[in-house]
Amino acid sequence: MRIPAAARLFGSAAGAALLAACSGPSASTPPSGARIYAAQCATCHGERGQGVAGKYADPLHGDWSQAKLARYVAANMPEDKPESLAPVEAEAVAAFVYDAFYSPVAQARNHPARVELARLTSRQYAIAVADLLRQVGPATADANSAALPATEDATGLAATYYNVAQRGRFDPAKLAHRGTDPVVDFTFPENGGLRARLALPPIDRPPTPNSREPAGFSAQWRGTLLADETGDHEFVIRTPNSVRVWINAEPDGRAGSPPTLDINVSTPTEPDHRVTVRLLGGRRYPIAIDWWALAEKAGSPVVPAISLRWKPPHGSERPIPARNLSTARTAPTFVVATRFPADDASFGYERGTTVSKSWDEAATAAALEVASHVEKRLDRLAGTRAGDPQRAQKAEAFAARFVAAAFRRPLADEERARFVGRWFAAGAEPEAALRHAVLLALKSPQFLYVDVPSPATVASRLSFGLWDSVPDAPLAAAASADELRTREQIAAHAARMTGDPRTRAKLREFFHQWLQIRYVEDLGKDAALFPGFDAALIDDLRTSLDLFIDRIAWGGTGDFRELLKADYLIANDRIARFYGLPAPADGRFARVAAPAGERAGVLTHPYLLAAHSYKAASSPIHRGVFLTRSVVGRRLKSPPMAVAFDEAQFEAGLTMREKVTRLTRGADCQGCHSVINPLGFSLEWYDAAGRFRREEKGRPIDAVSEFLADDRTAVRFGGARDVAEFAASDERAQLAFVEQLFHHFVKQPARAYGPDTLARLRDSFVASGFNLPKLLAEVATFGALGAPAPALLASSQTAPRP
Amino acid sequence: MNRLHRRAFLKRAGLSAAVLPFITGLPSLALAAPTRPRQRLIVVFSPNGTIPTEFWPDEAGRAFTLKKILAPLAPHRERMLTLQGVSNRIRGDGDGHMRGMSCLLTAIELLPGNIMGGSGVPAGWASGISIDQEIKNFFQSQANTRTRFGSLEFGVGVQDRADPWTRMSYAGSGKPVAPISDPYQMYEKLYGRTKDRESLRSVLDPLRAELGRVRGLVSAEDRRMLDEHETLVRQLERDLADGTGAAFRHAPPELERGVAAEQNDHVPRLSRMQIDLLVNSLANDMARVATLQYTKSVGGARMNWLGISDGHHGLSHEPDKDEVAQEKLIKINTWFAGEVRYLADKLAATPEPGGGGSMLDHTLIVWTNELGKGNSHTLDNIPFVLVGGGFGFEMGRALKFDKVPHNRLHLALAHGVGHRIETFGKKDLCAGGPLVLA
Repeated sequence: MRIPAAARLFGSAAGAALLAACSGPSASTPPSGARIYAAQCATCHGERGQGVAGKYADPLHGDWSQAKLARYVAANMPEDKPESLAPVEAEAVAAFVYDAFYSPVAQARNHPARVELARLTSRQYAIAVADLLRQVGPATADANSAALPATEDATGLAATYYNVAQRGRFDPAKLAHRGTDPVVDFTFPENGGLRARLALPPIDRPPTPNSREPAGFSAQWRGTLLADETGDHEFVIRTPNSVRVWINAEPDGRAGSPPTLDINVSTPTEPDHRVTVRLLGGRRYPIAIDWWALAEKAGSPVVPAISLRWKPPHGSERPIPARNLSTARTAPTFVVATRFPADDASFGYERGTTVSKSWDEAATAAALEVASHVEKRLDRLAGTRAGDPQRAQKAEAFAARFVAAAFRRPLADEERARFVGRWFAAGAEPEAALRHAVLLALKSPQFLYVDVPSPATVASRLSFGLWDSVPDAPLAAAASADELRTREQIAAHAARMTGDPRTRAKLREFFHQWLQIRYVEDLGKDAALFPGFDAALIDDLRTSLDLFIDRIAWGGTGDFRELLKADYLIANDRIARFYGLPAPADGRFARVAAPAGERAGVLTHPYLLAAHSYKAASSPIHRGVFLTRSVVGRRLKSPPMAVAFDEAQFEAGLTMREKVTRLTRGADCQGCHSVINPLGFSLEWYDAAGRFRREEKGRPIDAVSEFLADDRTAVRFGGARDVAEFAASDERAQLAFVEQLFHHFVKQPARAYGPDTLARLRDSFVASGFNLPKLLAEVATFGALGAPAPALLASSQTAPRP
Repeated sequence: MNRLHRRAFLKRAGLSAAVLPFITGLPSLALAAPTRPRQRLIVVFSPNGTIPTEFWPDEAGRAFTLKKILAPLAPHRERMLTLQGVSNRIRGDGDGHMRGMSCLLTAIELLPGNIMGGSGVPAGWASGISIDQEIKNFFQSQANTRTRFGSLEFGVGVQDRADPWTRMSYAGSGKPVAPISDPYQMYEKLYGRTKDRESLRSVLDPLRAELGRVRGLVSAEDRRMLDEHETLVRQLERDLADGTGAAFRHAPPELERGVAAEQNDHVPRLSRMQIDLLVNSLANDMARVATLQYTKSVGGARMNWLGISDGHHGLSHEPDKDEVAQEKLIKINTWFAGEVRYLADKLAATPEPGGGGSMLDHTLIVWTNELGKGNSHTLDNIPFVLVGGGFGFEMGRALKFDKVPHNRLHLALAHGVGHRIETFGKKDLCAGGPLVLA
């Protein structure tokens, strides 16, 4: 119940001051928002809304409209005396706050965004080093340079079986079978079956006494392995026999290296052999297996078998699926083992705008690691050999290529002397000279910073923008020929570069961020309530989500709206069975239709629904926060207090919606939950495992809610499809998506590229039919052109002159 | 009590160096301090059995005469023990060479496995830890005996393959420890950091010049970040300078370049390079336990440098009556004794860091073999020769036992460093406890 404002003012601590300041709501002069703020708000929020430690520490920044802000202030402020301000006072203070520092425009004015000097992020460092070593080394087969085949197409590894087992060798004269194995996961338990088909000898044929003739059988597998994620991959080779495995290493020829895993001796009771290999996601790596099943004595407990398994990041241990294997050949990729400290993500995206001692130590360790790698391979990389009279010159020429690639541009003579020549003085040992050149290059700001002004700046911004990596040969050539001057020239390269697997890898990483599943580790559910929702299904769901995004972005329309509105799922037989969908042909991942109205793209993808759920129940709050921040693109502040969701505090029989409604009905909560809850409730059609349901605890699902749009009109959501329709057509949602994408790719604030950058990007996005690859090219082009000089803000952009 | 011990003690007692003058005269505190002097163990392996008649002294006790094979060790006669009658009594899966090798230091059976030897049942790795690793773990578990590596495993001419014939050291059941046979690789492991530091030091000046150059190219606001970066480079420079204080007591040995580890004829040079590295690493206290493995069980080195072109293993199968082969085998085993002597000489010539005699006074060398005799493949009378000191054994004797299990010798080694375990390896073979060598 409200009481007259004038009466209450007398009772407030600041009453006297305020009374002097304003003559009451009925007076003709409007109240001063600045004075009310200073008197009643500044103690907690700070003179300029910057926040006060111990009171309300966060700055008063946000994206509510002024009217919404006024309503909130009127209902909730000051905290110790809510509803104590008259409507005109609340409006006045909201207007002041909005214009002075709250609104995005005010924020931009107070803290003009600028393109900051940025060092490589840890991801950029790893990719750049991998690519630059590829560039400067001898030309090799490279399955990574070609566009990837559709990743759901099963291929497998090239297999060759032999009728003999001689550890360390394979006799072509004893060839038994040649073919492609989709997965390597076999046991050879008896003399029929697979063994007969492969024409392999019987298991218990003992070695002829005193004969040098080895019996048994053996096999080789060769091909490439596609890593979906970046990180440590644990490989498990399960065999009671002898095996050698090369992962991201070359087994044969001059570039050959020792096996990653060399298991000569096996124990049948402990057949698992493990090795962890760090891989960069979205790339293909060579994989090779040599396996020997020596003849056993009759009655031996050893059953020849081999299983090639892995535990990728975010996944459980399983045989490596066919979709990650192919018979193509490729050269190894150098993946730096040094761990860098996590990059600053406090802006909502990772960027390299700070340096620290731990970062510098990691950069030193990584530089030493690369130097040692290069030094050991000097002869092969530089195309020379021991005793070559030209060895020192060739090593020096290689060092110069390395430094130029690291700096993304040709070296001037004087630079070549500074970075390379100084170490290769007459009589210098080539290994030591090369080590020094590599160390200096990789510790130099010309390598470590993306944006050091140079003739290569535009090329560098473009390649780091799209790939997190150094420019490729065509881009570097264009930079040298001064052909990256106009917007059209840059845009043409950007369009070409979006087809590269590295852009796909970066886009996938963006979507993991946008869908808030980058750090998801445990999706497990209550086994009694959700039988069948096991680790294997969770792995498949993540694959399904990735394939869904890849298909839309790269294989089909490229239309972002399809990502929100698709009424189908990508499913294999296991997913189809659990979710009651039609089984895909041959059980492999394929598009399957969901019953009409049940699914809406990523919003209702079971992986996301399960990720944003409790163990036993859905979580409208987690789902609502995800939809608010990512899909409809509204900002949320951190909750004012931590509230645990405790099932025990509710009486039995309440639906999840009723519980959440009760838990968040406080005024403190409603500021955000008036947005979060309607969105979260719209997904109540799905249980904690993401299955469609019509009732909860015997009561029909109530997913209908109202969401207040910016203009205060109520939007009715009856389910996920309504949210998807809204998000696809809402301008603020589109702007937020474009902004988040821009930040992930360019790693600089979009506002720094001109006040209308986002609006222009959104316009072209809409005009292109929401085409994702085209948006990426546009974003990268904006990023490459850089921040406009102040005088040019109004006119068209031009690339900076070196 | 050496200085390290005292400092460790003071630290644990909560006393700083400032109070040192006040407590050194207090007998009670001094007694409470750890008093055990530094101890080290080196296991040297050579393969294919010996020629017993030219190896074992005829006499037992102090008055014994060294025969042909052990003659090179004469200068160390007063600090050596020959242990005749110690048997590897482990049976089970695997052929004699496999068990000879993989049960030599583990004294426990092999796991079932897929490796088929010349006879017997196929087998896998040893099913337990080896005594060198057991003692290493004991040392590493205590602050005052802990070292950077704990143990170092050296190889000479060990074939690049992993099976029960090539591994004697085990970190645990099914966990063989591979020796490093390439001295350059070992050098890198021991001193790589030194090389890195030197390389870093030489790029620091040019690096600061580059930061200065780039500083001039960026805006005033961006300079802040480069300033921070430059501060970090200065810190790195200071860190590297501080590191010089921790320089090695003994400078790394100068290695001859280009000696390929896998070449048979390089074995004599590789042996000396590895021994130089071994002694240097111990002198710098990087480890207290080391193994030095010559080739492998069934090793077929062709000792052309001795004028012997037959493979060692093939020769070892020749019957006793083949006098030519016997002479060659004596020559081969005498050569190994010479390498053990080089190791012992080097240790004897190096003063113990921190005082207290030579390094050999604190180091026990255990020279052994996977077989007693090559042509019979016996696992009895394994040639165990101990050289050095520090374990409290009464040296300068030839001892004769009657087929005692080698488990009991390993127990004596453990007890010698104060690690009072009751059994080691196969429990049934530990009856009687540690061999009494004191």
